[in-house]
Amino acid sequence: MTMTSIGEQIRARLPYQRRNAATLVLLIFAMVLTLSAFAEVGLARDGNVPAGLFVYGGGLVVLGLVAYAVQAKFAPYADPLLLPLAVALNGIGLAMIYRLDLDTSADRKVAAQAGRALIPDEANAPTQLMWTFVGIALFVAAVLIMRDTDRPDAKLSFTPKTAQRYTYLIGLSAIILLLLPIVPGIGAQINGARVWIRVAGFSVQPGEFAKLALVVFFAGYLVNKRQAMSLIGKKIGPFSIPRMRDLGPILIIWFFCLGVLFVQKDLGTALLYFGLFISMLYIATQRVSWVVIGVGLLAVGIFVATLLPFMGHVNQRIDIWQNPKPYFDGGCLLDSGRVVPVNPDTEIYKRFKEQGDGSPGFSACAELGGSYADSAQLMKGLFSLGEGGVLGTGLGQGEPWRTPLSFSDFIFDSLGEELGLTGLMALLLIYAIIVQRGFKTAVAARDPFLKLFAGGVSFVVALQVFVIVGGVTKLIPLTGLTTPFLSQGGSSLMANWILIAILVRMSHDARKPAPQAIQDEGMTQIVSTR
Amino acid sequence: MNMDKPLRRVAIFGMLLFFGLMAQVNYVQGSQAKALQTDSANTRRFSEVFNSPRGQITAGGQVIVSSSPTGKDNPKYGRDYKDGLVFSPVTGYFNGGASKVELAYNSLLGGTDPRITRQRWFDAFIGKKAEGANVELALNPSAQRTAYRLVKGNTTRRAGAAVIDVKTGAVVVLASSASFDPNEVAPQRESKGGKRLAELDAAKGAIKPLIDNAMSQTFPPGSTFKTVTAAIAMDTQGLNSSSTVPTGQLILPESNRPLPNSHDTGNCAGSAPLRGAFAESCNTTFGKLAMDMGIEALNKGSSKFGFNKRFQIEPDLSPAESDVPISVRDAEGKQIRTGADGTARSGIGQENVRATPLQMAMVAAAVANGGEIMQPYLVQKVTSKEGNELYGASPKVYSKAMKGDTADQLADMMRAVISEGTAKNLAGRNIAGKTGTAEQGAGNPNARWFIGFGPSEKPRYAFAVVTEGPGSGGEAAGPIAASIMAQVLSK
Repeated sequence: MTMTSIGEQIRARLPYQRRNAATLVLLIFAMVLTLSAFAEVGLARDGNVPAGLFVYGGGLVVLGLVAYAVQAKFAPYADPLLLPLAVALNGIGLAMIYRLDLDTSADRKVAAQAGRALIPDEANAPTQLMWTFVGIALFVAAVLIMRDTDRPDAKLSFTPKTAQRYTYLIGLSAIILLLLPIVPGIGAQINGARVWIRVAGFSVQPGEFAKLALVVFFAGYLVNKRQAMSLIGKKIGPFSIPRMRDLGPILIIWFFCLGVLFVQKDLGTALLYFGLFISMLYIATQRVSWVVIGVGLLAVGIFVATLLPFMGHVNQRIDIWQNPKPYFDGGCLLDSGRVVPVNPDTEIYKRFKEQGDGSPGFSACAELGGSYADSAQLMKGLFSLGEGGVLGTGLGQGEPWRTPLSFSDFIFDSLGEELGLTGLMALLLIYAIIVQRGFKTAVAARDPFLKLFAGGVSFVVALQVFVIVGGVTKLIPLTGLTTPFLSQGGSSLMANWILIAILVRMSHDARKPAPQAIQDEGMTQIVSTR
Repeated sequence: MNMDKPLRRVAIFGMLLFFGLMAQVNYVQGSQAKALQTDSANTRRFSEVFNSPRGQITAGGQVIVSSSPTGKDNPKYGRDYKDGLVFSPVTGYFNGGASKVELAYNSLLGGTDPRITRQRWFDAFIGKKAEGANVELALNPSAQRTAYRLVKGNTTRRAGAAVIDVKTGAVVVLASSASFDPNEVAPQRESKGGKRLAELDAAKGAIKPLIDNAMSQTFPPGSTFKTVTAAIAMDTQGLNSSSTVPTGQLILPESNRPLPNSHDTGNCAGSAPLRGAFAESCNTTFGKLAMDMGIEALNKGSSKFGFNKRFQIEPDLSPAESDVPISVRDAEGKQIRTGADGTARSGIGQENVRATPLQMAMVAAAVANGGEIMQPYLVQKVTSKEGNELYGASPKVYSKAMKGDTADQLADMMRAVISEGTAKNLAGRNIAGKTGTAEQGAGNPNARWFIGFGPSEKPRYAFAVVTEGPGSGGEAAGPIAASIMAQVLSK
């Protein structure tokens, strides 16, 4: 190869430096941001600096500094932006959940003492703080464990590279993790989605961890097969068609994703996994034809799904996305394609309600012979965004709690209401920078497996943010996924902190100076202290 | 085989995804924000209206409605009504929802109207809420107080009074009894206010405090409607005030029963000039005129005065519809035509003819203003907090109800009502008018009317007063009207 690769160019040009000072400055900025957010919530909502500021803010400061110390000591060449950006996102998310957790508000305490009726709220700031603690602890542990990438066979060493050895085992565990929620007994359905399991009193979303496992599996598998899969079969026009026998893996993944779509009725997750696989396949083989085949297969799958009668909800999802208004507080899609409102203002709803029906909307729609759906959540989320406008209402001064799940699936809209378009652009930029640094790490990495691994985790973050944020802003049909680092939920936080730890470790390995030619024979025996 | 090139391409694709999200967020929060905020399904507006002070409502320079902080988070601002019982027929109430002027000028009072926000774009940019504008009513507050005191004191049943400026259409009095106090349902009363409003709304029987009896409730106008019948007859039948008309007994053709007169002496003894028949209010004369013209002519002619259709007195605020129906729907939904007997009774303001006091004041205004009715209005002007005028009432003609000559003759006939007719008790009060005593069916009290104008010569204001109870319009409503007019004309 005559042309040097971009990776080599980057490596050649960058004088590798430890950027710990930059990390520290940015980290302090992220903390000031978080503490200010907490203070503003308290001042605007309750009229005083919140009592919890020292617990929440202080807790986050201590955790962040520990994470910094570990990174500075054990991964000093790591990308300086990843840790501060993740802390900033986590901190803003935590402040928003604190703001939405009405139990922490002064009003509510007064109301509770007066014995007044309370608005139920499921936002839980103390639990989220605990999960933040666990998440950052996992980050620290992961950075500590994944040492000595140069000596993968050293005892008790598990590096990103080690994972390659267990490709198929990890692939199997990904499948098991994904199937767990369907297993009766431990699987649990929360808010209509069957993506949870109950373990020791906690609700865990195994899909969040499966996502990481799948990246490892795809990377390991594709590194092995990429030579074969990039071979060209026939050439038709500008397209080079791959050999038929190499179509196997993509078909399997396709069936698997369609399975997710049919069984879990979750278009977002199916899109996430399939998109991840196609992008990694493209990275591994450089063949655009694979992308074309993949997108074609996906289109066929979704098209078939819209035709199947028992998959009517896919059509309905698309219909709600294009025209949510008739579904507000309950709408009924008839076979003729007409949408009849069955909201609490309609006669038919009142009739079922009077009969003591628990879900009058569903029953009313069943009688009309259509399929029921409610767009109130999406529309309330959009109202939330509309309320925020360009500059937002200010933290603690809006009414984001009006949207159901304002603290999890719809936290982006909640932030949009109080921080405005300005705040959301900043948040999207933070995500974009994390993804960009991830890809840069991938480019800078030396090992093909690590390249694919880093590229995969970076892309999966981008895709996940796109699916959920696109959903709650009505860019694409809505599907429930967590918003990385912002949504309330332990599984998501833990998985994402591990993801950041992996990128930090890989960026350190990629950016640290290449081993110098050894002059002194005596030095060869010294094992790095890092 | 190097992976850097595809990695870079996928990275660019990833950035494009973010670009798409940013574009969408810009679209939603930038250009769609206004539409989302005002979406009919968006319930946020209901509580947000309490977060900033509403504009004041004033009348004659006096503040009658204002907002003040409650010291609480929700609602942050309450609403105070001075003499709420007196002014509520015009101001209405505000408790998130609203009625009357509070409703019609909601966006200006609340500070969300583009006429305010356009001027205060910089405030909007820095997130400062635009302040509500002040609304100045056309009401004459002292006359309004007099009117309320008198209509309330005269009956335990319903009563209403309306006075309009004949040259401009400004409504200077609009009083009603029974009334309600908007303070009872104001935001600061919280859930108690909502309960009280529901209670008022569910009022059983004839007395419904939320429905004012000056422009939102109709009554049979009785003999005051003879003004309309006379005007149509003079305009279309070639009659004038001295034409001789039959005033004696009239047998109704369908039932073969007589249409009674209150007295069969004087002008009502057999025949008289129209002026005399009007002054003494001979039923048979106007019953016969109505039968001769037919119900269609009566309906068409009365429409020129404002009957048979709703009109907006202010944005989204319409008085009740006054009617001279050609046919009515019975209990089974069948249209029943007004027959000859019914037409005769319609001519004297009975049968199914119904009118609001405001409508009858418009009839009197037509007489006083050479046949022209000016569009009635309640709000004189709206000024922003900085004092800029955002809206000013501009008098405009509502309709040409009759010929100018007819109006002049009718005015003279109404003066005759005082000098030699049914309202001699009002001699010397410098007003002219027409009495009316309408029956409202067995078991119900009479609707006692007096409509007219003042001063008697060169009239400036037209009025209508109705009260319910035994006795006649001339005795029960006439003195009230005279006292209100004395107050209106005193300045």
